[in-house]
Amino acid sequence: MATANIKDVKRRIKSVENTMQITKAMELVATSKLRSAKERAVASQPYFNTLYETMCEIQSDRGFKSIYTKKEFLKTVLVVVLAGDRGLAGGFNHNVLKLAEEKIKSLEKDGRTVKVFPIGKKAVEYFEKRKYEIYNKEYQISENLTMSRAISLSEKVISGFRNGIYDKVELVYTTFVSTLVQNAMSVTVLPIESNDLKDLDDTKDNSTSKDKVKKSALTLYEPSAEEVFDGLIPKYISGLLFCSIVDSYASEQAARRTAMESASDNASEMIDSLSLLYNRARQAQITQELNEIVAGQMGNN
Amino acid sequence: MKPFKLKIVTPEKIFFDGEAEQITIRTTEGDIGILANHIKYVCNIVAGPLKIKDSRGEREAALSEGILKVSDEGATVLASAVEWADEIDLERAERAKKKAEDILSDKSRADEFGRAEIKLKRALARLSVGQRQR
Repeated sequence: MATANIKDVKRRIKSVENTMQITKAMELVATSKLRSAKERAVASQPYFNTLYETMCEIQSDRGFKSIYTKKEFLKTVLVVVLAGDRGLAGGFNHNVLKLAEEKIKSLEKDGRTVKVFPIGKKAVEYFEKRKYEIYNKEYQISENLTMSRAISLSEKVISGFRNGIYDKVELVYTTFVSTLVQNAMSVTVLPIESNDLKDLDDTKDNSTSKDKVKKSALTLYEPSAEEVFDGLIPKYISGLLFCSIVDSYASEQAARRTAMESASDNASEMIDSLSLLYNRARQAQITQELNEIVAGQMGNN
Repeated sequence: MKPFKLKIVTPEKIFFDGEAEQITIRTTEGDIGILANHIKYVCNIVAGPLKIKDSRGEREAALSEGILKVSDEGATVLASAVEWADEIDLERAERAKKKAEDILSDKSRADEFGRAEIKLKRALARLSVGQRQR
């Protein structure tokens, strides 16, 4: 019995070691991907900030109406959900998908029709399985989405809005707070609320943009402020989507890194306790063998 | 000529951050030139060539659509993509042009016309700038 036990324990140690190798490798891959994702997120900031500032300036200049700011009775809502392509990332996919589902449920309770625009393989699978109305499932791959793909994505979102297929766009994604903390959250993308812009501006601790807003009354817009504004919106939205995609991607990698780190820790703990078990069993076997020899010897005498 | 601050920003990087004496850029209203001490000005730009003149001479780049903003601090160009003339991948632009033209000649894909038109303009801008360079 003792020998079989030793073999079993040895086999288990081997298999845990193999698993640990995989989790270690995944941890390292996630770490390096996280670094490049963070770099991309930082590189996209200046573009987005300038766009945002310009938009606030125009908006604060004159309170005009644009098709992107209209606010009628909202019937159909498009929910854009950003998730990952793969699992093994702790609660990353689960959290964002749960939040999205809650959001959809509460919108449906208010009597709105909801269409889902899932991005990332996990999101597509999740909503397909649960038979939600899917607006578009072309974006199965959220990994390494380039700016040009983000632009075509946002063009699709905007054209549906302009054609009146839906009159509100919500985005559910995961924002990267730190390597250990990622929060699932939802934001309204369209229509743009004029109050939103200024409120956001207040919360952003950006004192310079406030000063600029006051000075901008003398700015010349060509052909007109309205047209510049309408031309700006698609860029703003694609910028927003691009930033959230990069953000969500960084969160995924961070979540995977943490998950894999604790998996590796657990594996090494398990190996420790298994080796203890193994050594004990080995010791027991040796003791038993010794006993047998000694007993045999004594019988001979 | 008096220089002014110029910044060209894309979502992927800051393409240009320095001083220029004159830039020529294509807007929805036609080509315009910006010199130092320009009044505050904001307009939409369309895909086209961008000429930047500084003390060392003139350089050309292909610009995708975006916005131009001139303030007291200088000029800022925001565009979805920019390349210097010698960085342009002519083959890729040629392919993009062909693809966009195919869509535009196919009446059953009318809902894609808007996007195809933008892509065609981008490709044409790259081709014209790139070919002039060679």
